Amino acid sequence: MKKLYNSIWMIALVLCFSGCDDKLDLEPRQSISVGTAISSAENVKNILIGVYNETGQSPSYGGYLQLLADLYGTTDQITWGGTFQPPRQVFNKNIFIDNGFVSDLWLNGYEAINQANLVLDYSDLLEEEDRDQVMGEAYFLRALNYFDLNRFFMSPDGQIGVPLSLEGIIDYAQDLQIPRASASEVYSQVVSDLEMAYSLLPEDNGIFADKYAAQALLARVYLQMGNYAGARDAADDVIQNSAHSLTSTFEDAFNNDVDSTEDVFAFQVTTQDGANVLVTHYADQTFGGRGGDVTVNEAYLEMFGENDARGDFFYTSAQNEGTLTGKYTNQYANISLLRLAEMYLIRAEANLREGTVIGASPVEDVNKLRLRAGADLLTEVTVEDVLKERELELMFEGFLVFDYKRTGREIATLPASSPKLSFPIPQREIDANDLLTQNPGYE
Amino acid sequence: MNNEDFYKKSTKYNMKKKLQLICVLLFTMTVHFGYAQSKTVTGTVTDENSLPLPGVNVIVQNANRGTQTDFDGNYSIDVAQGDVLTFSYVGFTSQSISVGPDDIINVTLGEDAAQLDEVVVVGYGTQSKRTLTDNVAKLTSEDIEEVPVPSIQSTIAGKAAGVQIAPTNGKVEGGVNIRIRGIASIGAGSEPLYVLDGVPLINSNESNNGSPTNPLLTLSANEIASIDILKDASAAAVYGSRGANGVVIITTKSGANRPATFSLNYSYGVSEPTNLRDWLNADEYVELFTEAAVNTFGQDEGVEYINGIFDFLADGTDWQNREIDTDWQDLALQNGHVQDATFSMSGGNEKTTYFFSGAFNDTEGIVTGNELERINARVNVGHTFNEKFKAGMNLSFSRTNIDRIANDNAFVTPLQAIAQPALSPAYLENGDPNPNTLYPNFLLQDKHSFYNTVIKRVLGRVFGEYRFLDNLKFNSDFGYDLYYQNEDSYTGRLAPFQSTNGEAYASSVGTESYVSSNYFTFSEVFNDIHDLEIVAGMEYNQSNRRFQDVTGIQFPTDDFQTIDSAAEITSGSGAESANSFLSYFARLTYSLYDKYLLKVSVRRDGSSRFGEDVRYGTFPAISAGWIISEEEFLRNSDVLSFLKLRASYGETGNANIGDYAALGLFGGISYNQRPGIAPIQAANPQLTWESVKQTDIGLEYGFLNNRISGEIDYYIKRSDGLIFSQPLPGTSGQANITKNIGLLENKGIEFVLNTKNIQKENFTWSTNFNIAKNNNEVKELPNGDDVVSGQTILREGESLSAFYLREYAGVDPDNGDALYYINEEGGGRETTTDPNEANRVILGQPYADWIAGFTNNLYYKGVDFGFTFTGNWGASIYNGGGIYQSANADYFDNQSADQLDRWQQPGDITNVPQARLFGGNGTATSSRYLQEADFIRLRNLTLGYTIPDRFIQEVGLDKFRIYFTGINLLTITDYDGYDPESTSDAGQGVGVTFYSAPAVQTMSLGLNINF
Repeated sequence: MKKLYNSIWMIALVLCFSGCDDKLDLEPRQSISVGTAISSAENVKNILIGVYNETGQSPSYGGYLQLLADLYGTTDQITWGGTFQPPRQVFNKNIFIDNGFVSDLWLNGYEAINQANLVLDYSDLLEEEDRDQVMGEAYFLRALNYFDLNRFFMSPDGQIGVPLSLEGIIDYAQDLQIPRASASEVYSQVVSDLEMAYSLLPEDNGIFADKYAAQALLARVYLQMGNYAGARDAADDVIQNSAHSLTSTFEDAFNNDVDSTEDVFAFQVTTQDGANVLVTHYADQTFGGRGGDVTVNEAYLEMFGENDARGDFFYTSAQNEGTLTGKYTNQYANISLLRLAEMYLIRAEANLREGTVIGASPVEDVNKLRLRAGADLLTEVTVEDVLKERELELMFEGFLVFDYKRTGREIATLPASSPKLSFPIPQREIDANDLLTQNPGYE
Repeated sequence: MNNEDFYKKSTKYNMKKKLQLICVLLFTMTVHFGYAQSKTVTGTVTDENSLPLPGVNVIVQNANRGTQTDFDGNYSIDVAQGDVLTFSYVGFTSQSISVGPDDIINVTLGEDAAQLDEVVVVGYGTQSKRTLTDNVAKLTSEDIEEVPVPSIQSTIAGKAAGVQIAPTNGKVEGGVNIRIRGIASIGAGSEPLYVLDGVPLINSNESNNGSPTNPLLTLSANEIASIDILKDASAAAVYGSRGANGVVIITTKSGANRPATFSLNYSYGVSEPTNLRDWLNADEYVELFTEAAVNTFGQDEGVEYINGIFDFLADGTDWQNREIDTDWQDLALQNGHVQDATFSMSGGNEKTTYFFSGAFNDTEGIVTGNELERINARVNVGHTFNEKFKAGMNLSFSRTNIDRIANDNAFVTPLQAIAQPALSPAYLENGDPNPNTLYPNFLLQDKHSFYNTVIKRVLGRVFGEYRFLDNLKFNSDFGYDLYYQNEDSYTGRLAPFQSTNGEAYASSVGTESYVSSNYFTFSEVFNDIHDLEIVAGMEYNQSNRRFQDVTGIQFPTDDFQTIDSAAEITSGSGAESANSFLSYFARLTYSLYDKYLLKVSVRRDGSSRFGEDVRYGTFPAISAGWIISEEEFLRNSDVLSFLKLRASYGETGNANIGDYAALGLFGGISYNQRPGIAPIQAANPQLTWESVKQTDIGLEYGFLNNRISGEIDYYIKRSDGLIFSQPLPGTSGQANITKNIGLLENKGIEFVLNTKNIQKENFTWSTNFNIAKNNNEVKELPNGDDVVSGQTILREGESLSAFYLREYAGVDPDNGDALYYINEEGGGRETTTDPNEANRVILGQPYADWIAGFTNNLYYKGVDFGFTFTGNWGASIYNGGGIYQSANADYFDNQSADQLDRWQQPGDITNVPQARLFGGNGTATSSRYLQEADFIRLRNLTLGYTIPDRFIQEVGLDKFRIYFTGINLLTITDYDGYDPESTSDAGQGVGVTFYSAPAVQTMSLGLNINF
């Protein structure tokens, strides 16, 4: 009996002390290593999908970027009544350097940029037939992120832009600090990326960026830079050749689960992925919002003439009884980034400024949109008319502050070049990167 | 008491018994004659729980005679009236009683409060406290029972020096942080390792509603025999890479060689918040906000504007005549109750011992909608097969059901209702919650949605011990812990933010941990002077976690609330992870002449969590002690009864870094329901455990036969290679990287004083006082750079996570502007109105540096009275909700009443700036919302009465006691917020409170019955 016990214990012992070592190799089940991620064509394409996802998240084009641009640009058109402090600071043009929305915009933008860089860096893994398209989309998304970061964060004098990182980073042991580039360097990079994208992308690419998405964005970029001829020609190309057309009514251009004919490019939102925080803040609770954090003021409503459907595209919040825009009433709707309507307005403004009538006359372009909205048609237009038309057509879509600033118009008694109309470099970036300089007014 | 312990005691007992028998025989023979007036006295000796004590020595003083109690604690002895009987038993305080006319003398022995001879559990064995060279704080069941709180950790508060128990806030399931000798880590966990009967407990929060639940809620105090807290490295090093934050060893009760005893306990209590705050009533709200609007928009426009707002808030009621004056705080908080019922049965014979217990706890919290219900059961059985082999099994299960409310940072959490103006009606005329409020009305959430968590836990171990030789034995344990949790939530159509015809969420997570420990113990005394014990063995521990959840929307009606009825599934996930530890350990304990003590231990740990190059670590420790009072020159001192000097040094690790933290990872994402991948974690192949090196010097003392005793300890604890998330430049594409950087030092002193003030037959009074000071300093950071996160900073030379804020400078008496100190380096005390111009400075720390506990226990003729005070000094709390709550009417949130002290006209001296609606006047994050949170609190008070035996024995009871017990009955603090022990559970940073529930005050009545 005793012997039996002894031997049982000894067997147990031997079992325990041997053969355990390999049990320390446990691999994650929900993720893969960086090495695996950048070693196959399939994964490089997967990373590209990731860039769309990242770019479309809430801090960027999922809605906060557009929301902040409109809150930043408003004088008396709209009011932020929500409780969130960060947008309120932007609305008040009195931004604290630790504003969470501002730093998230920066972080998310660069996350997307880094992922786009990785796609470009490892594009030689791709099969020949995919390579152009994948690279083209990566160039498009990188340009988009850099363009808006540069617009928000550039110094008030327009000289200093944002840091320019063009190589994908996977080694985080290296020195990661980089200084800000000049604003014009960043714009040049954006233009060259979009030109690359235009040359690489196909005519049609489903829900993903095609060559006209790149061209349409280029039109917007050129307009921002004051290159009106470039803006005009790019916009004209999109209008003439992209096969997109205006939706039959103004209302049809919004709250779409699938892209409308007018969407040159839109960020996709489904019930299961994507983000749409525009609904969160613009809609009342019936539509999945917070009750209407952004209410529309008389000053804006009065800009519309009679019969203009766009002037009736509002409803009253069931919670705060304020006037809310009808553009965001479907929480799973795609977010239109580039609508064809914008191209008509760019072509009109650029033709006016250049004194040309490429594609169509400015008054024709403007009337095209007014006709759809049922508004009275104009007989002639000035640059001011086009700018007003932009405000009527594109409000709540993230244009306001940039349109006012680029045209030198005052915002809430602040001159367009006021330091208060440039975002501060986020405190966390200043803390983590010694090479960054703060914008004036925030030091 | 674990089995080994029992074994030791029983062998001792056998030897003693033989000697005693011989003595008794001799005595009775020699002094049989000459006692004409003698009589026979009989009685029963019991412990404080009325359990009979066998083998108690009963000696007639000055007469060289005596006997021992039998298995039922009964004795019988011939004495004369006037003789004095002395009752003594190892581990208990001796008692002397004069023989009077009674023939029955029943005695209750109290446990020896000096505890110098008690046995402490040290991991893979036990050791006598007397010869221990480590710092271990021991708590027994008495310390933790009858405290009506659902979490075990909360019962420890104030009872062990240097052990801070920090409850998050007053929610019933709220997390509890235990900090043993300060915080030894920043980014890795700072929770100690919990080991229950040799099984490392699963202790990770699995909540999915944004606020943590305490995983140890599943334990019931009534099944716990002792809690040993290993504080210094010498004690904890045998747990290697998991010992850095200290180790809490929980030992469950076991049976003993005695007839079955049953014990019942029931208590019922009511609870309420420890504190309420003052908020503006309707009158004050109208006054302040009218003023604020006028200041911003001018008289006419301001009044018109704000009246419109009042109209909206009043929702059709007549605010002009203050028709409505809602007390929202009163709606959010409620009176709760605590009901606790426990039952246990234990006993055994020489071969087999058993313990069964069951418990039921029902705690309704003080926040509306928050409730917990728990059942526990346990069986512990041990059997001695023969002199070589014994084995046993412990098994317990529990079910904990929690009705939860949203985290502190959610609009629908009840306490955010304090933001609602008093003008707003809470209910409509038809009795339904009013949906037209400034913020979503939590009453809608309360009525139309739920969030329920059920935790099922099974915990057990089988163990065997085989004694090859008298001095060599082998132990093998297999332990298993299963933590299984379901969450179910449904948000109905009428709940705030609900627009998808209902939404249901269901999750389930199962984490299992199994551990196999196998070790040899060799113990021998050589030449009567060398006492040697060697323990050597190995352990393998693997933990597997599996998680799934699913969200569905579009329900036919609110009557359908499970995922099955969802027309659309919007998200689902499934994840698995695992970690493993393979360890070898050895420990040598040696004492010479029972006074020179030495202990050496080493553990080698490998873990799947560490990078491949740094997978194994070795954790050594050494300690030595000298029992000075055993030396000739002190041995006969009447005053000094015990004196021991000890010192230790050791290394431990902190492996709480998460699974796979070292790897660079891409995770799956989807865009338009197409799969893709994205980077989720920056790689750091050098990532490994944090290493903590601790030195401890201690002195244990006892005076006047240990009526005064205690310990003094000094320690230095250096945590090297701190793991934390270092912010990266955003331009790198990642926000943070997990790194071993920096050095942190905790050093401090601990002082413990136990006194037995009165020890009389019917009156005893003992006191425990402990106080500890911990200094926490960040010594090194990479490149010496500051790391700022939120309102806190890590900076060399400063305390951990010091508050880093703009310094509020009060109000300009001329114009009511809020001012901030510019605090330029080398500058003076200039102020500015522009918060961006103000530099942040260090203004406090979130952790207390002084903590103390003061406990008294008195027994007087069946009445027992005990109380514990705790104190914390040195910590500050930042009110993250201050910018909304106390913002001089910056937005429409109801304001704390102190905002009425706002500046109104030039010359006003106040700290509250002029009220300006939307003005941002003083609302930047600043020290305006930071306050010191020192407090002294009457943590627990118990008053009981035990009905004398003579009344209850007739009905067959051994004990019948009724008691009152109270928690947090008194708090002394200057802190103005809800409670100095109430902080955010929504992950908003350490030391931040945000609409967080106050602590709970409970008063219970209870009953103990033993039979």
